[in-house]
Amino acid sequence: MNSHPIRESFQKGIVFAAIMVFMMLTGFHMIAATMVSKIFGVYVLRGSIPEIRFMTYIHVLFGIWAGWSASSKTGKISTRIFRGLVAGFTAGAFIALFDLILNFLIQSGTDIRQYLSALSFESMDYFLMNLGQMGILVHLGIYTATGLAGSALAVFLRSESVQHWWQNLKSNISTFITRTTENLPPFLQKYGKYILYLILLAALLILPTRWGSYLNFVIGLVGLYTIAGIGLNIIVGLSGQLVLGFAAFFAMGAFSVGLLNAPEPHNLMWGFWPAIVVAVLMAIAAAVVLGLPTMRLRGDYLAIVTLGFGEITRILLKSDTLINLTGGPRGILDIHGPTLFGKPFTDVYYVYLIFAGVALSIFLYNRLQDSRTGRAWLAIKEDPIAAQATGVNLQKYKLLALCIGAAFAGLVGGISAARNQFTGPNDHTLMASINVLSLVIVGGMNSIPGIILGAFALKGLPEILREVQNYRQLAFGALLIVMMLMRPEGLWPSSRPLIEKGDRSQIEENKNEEGGKDA
Amino acid sequence: MPDIIIETKEVSKLFGGLTAVNMVNLEIPKYSIYSIIGPNGAGKTTLFNCISGFYTPETGEILYFGELIQGSATDFIASIGISRTYQNIRLFSNLTAVENIMVGQHTNLETNWMDAILHTPRFSRESKKSRSEAIRLLGFVGLTNFGDFLACNLPYGLQRRLEIGRALANKPQLLLLDEPTAGMNPQETQEMIKLIRQLRDELNISIILIEHDMRVVMDISDKISVLDYGKKIAEGTPKEIQANPRVIEAYLGPGGAALAKKYQDRRRKDA
Repeated sequence: MNSHPIRESFQKGIVFAAIMVFMMLTGFHMIAATMVSKIFGVYVLRGSIPEIRFMTYIHVLFGIWAGWSASSKTGKISTRIFRGLVAGFTAGAFIALFDLILNFLIQSGTDIRQYLSALSFESMDYFLMNLGQMGILVHLGIYTATGLAGSALAVFLRSESVQHWWQNLKSNISTFITRTTENLPPFLQKYGKYILYLILLAALLILPTRWGSYLNFVIGLVGLYTIAGIGLNIIVGLSGQLVLGFAAFFAMGAFSVGLLNAPEPHNLMWGFWPAIVVAVLMAIAAAVVLGLPTMRLRGDYLAIVTLGFGEITRILLKSDTLINLTGGPRGILDIHGPTLFGKPFTDVYYVYLIFAGVALSIFLYNRLQDSRTGRAWLAIKEDPIAAQATGVNLQKYKLLALCIGAAFAGLVGGISAARNQFTGPNDHTLMASINVLSLVIVGGMNSIPGIILGAFALKGLPEILREVQNYRQLAFGALLIVMMLMRPEGLWPSSRPLIEKGDRSQIEENKNEEGGKDA
Repeated sequence: MPDIIIETKEVSKLFGGLTAVNMVNLEIPKYSIYSIIGPNGAGKTTLFNCISGFYTPETGEILYFGELIQGSATDFIASIGISRTYQNIRLFSNLTAVENIMVGQHTNLETNWMDAILHTPRFSRESKKSRSEAIRLLGFVGLTNFGDFLACNLPYGLQRRLEIGRALANKPQLLLLDEPTAGMNPQETQEMIKLIRQLRDELNISIILIEHDMRVVMDISDKISVLDYGKKIAEGTPKEIQANPRVIEAYLGPGGAALAKKYQDRRRKDA
């Protein structure tokens, strides 16, 4: 056996040990254990220490993972298992070394919390599973055994018979589905799709009344960011213009609704519906103002200029220059929302409104993307010069994309201002623009399910996982790195439509129909 | 002159101190295959870029059906029926082959974004027509069954053909082909020659061709112009060009004419 596989698995082991040590140093192991305990249905109070067994689970899972990743996909079975063993042992050995330090700290009673705030005695004890010096040996044992188990598991699951069984299962399920759909009564075959839509619609109407206001808030946030994501996707994903000042268009929408619908500073009280129309129009106007001079720019330059536009908008709103007009740094308080039969909107109605917005934006996106306009945008994104040489007017189409995207942002800004009953300059920071951009990229450009998924991952999850809020940036970083490695095109990447195939099947269908008529 | 499709009058293009195209006069007859040849850096592609509107020439006039077009926007020039391909292929790589052709149809279609959102009758009529047209064109350039491949996944020869298909999609009167057979094997080259002839004979398109492969040039051209250091040094039928001493000198250097004559004599003797 050559030394290469051993060295590779040795490195894997070191990496896994380093991750574990890092988790321990930041105190993340306790949070992870809390999360695992929730999965097992054991609720842990915030700040208290979960049961020891959950730490053990984490060590075991981590060891199995190390062994799994060290075991290669091909090669002799003995080598593959041996790799896992080496990786597990290496990880165990390094963690044991770290344990030695922890033990020393515990025994000498040195409190180093002023340097590493998460490293309390409880946390260290918990990491050692309350076993003290025995913990060192136990860790070494656990990691060696689980590394071996992980690689054995990998070998087993990747073995031909298991793969074969899995393929069989998949094909069986798919044939079962096609067979049941074929055997459905003709009425269901024809209208089944619409019935499913109706069920979905009913679910969307009923669920918000059951969820409670907190979940409604979270879902509404995800919905708003979905609309914004689809809007930005028209600009970035379809027409390929990297615009970083998207928050400026939020601000336009939010301040339009705010100024027209709040007692201060103007007390205009137009009502929500006219105000939201104005919000959208204002956002479009801002897009024209920004777009006319900048749409000649490309790539990085456009990104910088639009970033500047976003910041200028925010700083203007924050400064004293416009304090009489827009309320200055304090923002606009007590914005009145829409009313229904004289009663103000409840959270449930807001969720309905946002769902309607999401549906509208998906509808608009789908229609635009499969059209002459949409294809012209995609052509500009791929190669502006070649696009222009095929007759696409670059300025016009880029500006159109910016305006439509901005209209979506204006809508989002208006709704969220009314929903929060407040808007201020600090709602529309650069971070908001970057959030929308990253949810589009993480989810998958030009893919509606991807954008919804991205909105859930980047806006919904952090809301739900409030405990790990301190680790949000850490988790984001890790998520982005893992995603770029595993799914560089996003969580749910888009695919191009099959036009030639569709056309051919349509021709065949027509032929079949004609044949039927002849018979 | 109704039978002249495009004419350049004393066109010059400067890049700083370099005169890339120097006082070039060309007259391209309708329905002809007109080749522009010359050593590397002679200004052939720059001339193309002037015609298709990427560059505005410093001096001179470009007349298309007797109308001035120099200085117009590239997309306007595409819309009046001048299409082109590129030396290094410039397809929309992440769109499928059919979609590439459908982008090419841009100037022929008239539905706008409002039609797309409302799905007006005009929109459905036009999209159906554009689809079937694109698939027909795909067959014409020999890419049937490759329509749903991403352009970047097509083999090289097919990418060249797809680029021609995209250029044909806006029903051009004049097609500028920049080295269409570059990097092709002899068989692919023959097929390409056949396709170019088809374009002229079946679709009645006038073609200007930049090409380095002399066998191709001499085979299909009705007329040839030779550029060297931005200047037109010769013009004529393939026979005349082959015998022109200035052309031989441009390609082989001073004394090249004598060398070529010696070589030809020896060949004649061997025969």
